[in-house]
Amino acid sequence: MYDLLIKGGLIVDPANRPEPVVGDVWIRAGKVVDSPDSPDARPARTVDARGYVVMPGGIDVHCHIAGSKVNAARALRPEDHRANALKRGPGLRSGTSGSTPSTFATGYLYAGLGYTTALDASIPPLSARLAHHEFADTPLIDKAFLVLMGNNHFLMDRLRSGEEGKVRDAVAWLLDATKGFGVKVVNPGGIEQWKQGRGNVVSLDDDVASFGVTPRTILTGLARAIDALGLPHPMHLHGLNLGIPGNAATTLDTLRALDGHRVHLAHVQFHSYGDAEPKTSLFGSRVGEIADHVNSHEGVTVDVGQVMFGETTSMTADGAVGHFLARLTGRKWVNIDVEMETGCGVVPITYSDKNLVHALQWAIGLEWFLRVDDPWRVALSTDHPNGGSFLSYPRIIALLMDRGLRDDAFNALPEGVRRRSGLGDLSREYSLWEIAVITRAGPARMLGLPDKGHLGPGADGDVTIYAPDADKERMFELPRYVVKAGAVIVDGGEVRSSEVGRTLHVSPAHDPAIEAEIKDWFERDYTLQFANYPVASEDVANPLECGP
Amino acid sequence: MSSGPTPASSEPRTTPKRRSVADVTCLACGCLCDDLTVMLEGDRVVEVLSACEVGRSWFFSESGREPAIAASIEGKPVSTEEAIARAVSVLGEARSPVVFGLTRTVTESVREALGLADLLGARVVLDRSGTDLGRVSAYQGQGRVTATLGEVKNRADLVVFWGADPVRTHPRHWERYSVEPKGRFVPEGRAGRTVVVVDAEKTETAERADRFVQVPADRHLEALATLRMLARGKTPARPTAGFETLLGLADLMKRARYGAMFVQGGEDSGWRSGATWEAAARLVRVLNDFTRFVLLGLGAAGNLAGAEAALTWQSGYLQGVDFRLGHPSPLDDLVTIDELLKHREIDAVLVVGDGLPTGLSDQALAHLGSIPSIVIGSRATAVSDSPPTVALATWTPGFDARGTVVRTDGVAIRTRPVRDARLPGDGELIRKIVDGVKQAVKAS
Repeated sequence: MYDLLIKGGLIVDPANRPEPVVGDVWIRAGKVVDSPDSPDARPARTVDARGYVVMPGGIDVHCHIAGSKVNAARALRPEDHRANALKRGPGLRSGTSGSTPSTFATGYLYAGLGYTTALDASIPPLSARLAHHEFADTPLIDKAFLVLMGNNHFLMDRLRSGEEGKVRDAVAWLLDATKGFGVKVVNPGGIEQWKQGRGNVVSLDDDVASFGVTPRTILTGLARAIDALGLPHPMHLHGLNLGIPGNAATTLDTLRALDGHRVHLAHVQFHSYGDAEPKTSLFGSRVGEIADHVNSHEGVTVDVGQVMFGETTSMTADGAVGHFLARLTGRKWVNIDVEMETGCGVVPITYSDKNLVHALQWAIGLEWFLRVDDPWRVALSTDHPNGGSFLSYPRIIALLMDRGLRDDAFNALPEGVRRRSGLGDLSREYSLWEIAVITRAGPARMLGLPDKGHLGPGADGDVTIYAPDADKERMFELPRYVVKAGAVIVDGGEVRSSEVGRTLHVSPAHDPAIEAEIKDWFERDYTLQFANYPVASEDVANPLECGP
Repeated sequence: MSSGPTPASSEPRTTPKRRSVADVTCLACGCLCDDLTVMLEGDRVVEVLSACEVGRSWFFSESGREPAIAASIEGKPVSTEEAIARAVSVLGEARSPVVFGLTRTVTESVREALGLADLLGARVVLDRSGTDLGRVSAYQGQGRVTATLGEVKNRADLVVFWGADPVRTHPRHWERYSVEPKGRFVPEGRAGRTVVVVDAEKTETAERADRFVQVPADRHLEALATLRMLARGKTPARPTAGFETLLGLADLMKRARYGAMFVQGGEDSGWRSGATWEAAARLVRVLNDFTRFVLLGLGAAGNLAGAEAALTWQSGYLQGVDFRLGHPSPLDDLVTIDELLKHREIDAVLVVGDGLPTGLSDQALAHLGSIPSIVIGSRATAVSDSPPTVALATWTPGFDARGTVVRTDGVAIRTRPVRDARLPGDGELIRKIVDGVKQAVKAS
């Protein structure tokens, strides 16, 4: 028996077909299968997709939807939820939206947008357990998280002494202990430096105080460990100097330092700024040079971190950035230093189209989409909620597909933006096929998830069905149907299910000898028992181990 | 090691097998130490290692408790099924129910209880102190610069206990987290830290501190505001009494490499007010323009932080939530169970916790006696002059329950039951009530 037949839609499946084609998608036991030979084959349900556009379910490669900083932000901002309530419905829980939706709302809203998988990009090992509990209350979508490692004391100590094997084993152990999916590096060494009250690191060869390492040592050492372990997703990097004028030079240095390794640059928009102009904090776009490097280096992928105008909440593991924004905006500020591991900063922020810096950030983000030649190497993200909510993805898609719309928006911005960004010269318009690449096929490939992001046999039965519309924002805002593992979860535009999806994780092998060494360090420095640190199987909802 | 008390009975018996459970988390105070070893003979606790006296006696008293009646209605024993059916009908008929408590149980059960509250369209009020409400409103007004306890252990060279007396209330805090432990950047331990106590009276903690600054309870807000001004290099127009002392303290704080301020605040102090908490948060924020400084609480016994975390991720609201409109609305900052009862705003109460609310005003108590009540908790069926309408006894979090709790600094710990539970989990009972309410809705 087949679960579902999606009949006669225009299938946009970039991983398998170079052009959209009209056809059927059959799903059995949650997976896409070949169309049956027998004319008697019957599905439990048929969705008539004639006239509709059929794509794999969307995949968010970089967002913040769980963990200590997201929950700190939810708690901090009741004013952000008040006007954004979601009523409970038959079988559905109630919730709140705004820049940091509650857990149930997060699942419903992503699914309602046609997304079926989301990766939280930044979880401290110490809050892995709570993040998994939040995931268990986040229905419909499959979830995974990256584990913060770029300021971990144990790893920095082993990197200093050049013990590569131990670094590799400790990375593997941490991923298994947290049931994480991959390695996140945020401002390598800089968070530790700031926690010590010694400012920040600003270049790859700065010393990280009292650790005897540099950002370069950390980056290259962890990149080697990740490659050696063969993790499905490469190093996921938030580099040095986020948001600082002149940081394009650091970003290029970083890419050169990692030459020969796979790397994913997160929210690259925030790392592409030219030098500060005299007497102002203004800067020009330097997307062109960095994009050229990306275009000529196959192992490099990026997500954009598009800024959208409006009210949102910034959140980062980079405590120094949180402090900077708190001083800049004077708004409320949460900072959490996390022992031995990382930091956390949360500050509300309003991006205004009247503000020249914000307008530049908007234009620089769009430049990124248009200057990376190969759409498989650039993923759609707002670094939710940092640049804006994931709910703004349809608007971004419209801006990419329609040059007229984009130019109108660009020309309405303050004059100074047009002197500093070449966005107006870029005539490229994304096709539906390319949109499918940057929102599902590409992210699946970046994450190393062979069963996701496509509709060939063996793929997860995660499908989104859109009604074509000249208004692309409207088209992508309200898919008609969303299918998860063969079940119709959004039916006629309405969320109809509250099933909890899978938790994707890796559990790479490691030499067990490393555990004794970690235990010694742990018992000396942490305030928690070593035995009580690893996430237990009861903590993880519907776990699914992914390669290697 | 103790061999345990002599058996009271002289009947011949074999000594039950001796065993121990390591890495046990203690919920007796807000420290949530997770390094206890509990020794048992059979089901009986015979020794508790690494615990303070508060924790040790808690484990012994749990172990010595008479087995509870599983369920009762109006104080009379009934089957669990009967009690659940009655709870379903009480909650199904209620037009304005409240779910109260939730701070003494595991986070998993809190999640279930919030699901029930959502289904019922109930209000959710956590069993929190007045100072906790002040903390919440200040957090939402100002945010907070804080850290996990290990950062204090490893980095803090200045520790300020402000309205906090951990030596008395959180006995192992001093040795385990804040003062004595040796840390990466404080290799000397106690000798590497300056300890300051600010309080209304000379407390036990003050006796052991390096410096004691006496500030009357009603002047804490003013002292914090003055310190902030001094930290920014400004001098108040009219220097108040004790000004010189505060000037010295501000200087000490700014010169710290990494300072940690712990606040607890008693019910009778100025810390019931959000304004005092906010002043502390503002002071610590300003200090971060000069050095590193963090603000923490000592934490409450049980799992207040876990209840707050789950409430926040499910509803968006740390302060408590009102589901009456079919979606979450924030509770007013000052809503307490006493207020709701006093003003007759609720017509049924479900307590997830030890028992019916205590410390109520006369009017609140009178209303409580006039509405149906359900208690789900380890002591729910204990003998009482005014038993709840329905009582369902459960396992005991921290003793024989399964599940997780959260430290006040946000670190979640999976608790380890020291013996098999004899009674069902509260989460399981709540799920059965949810099923019952759903069926009743379908049937109608």
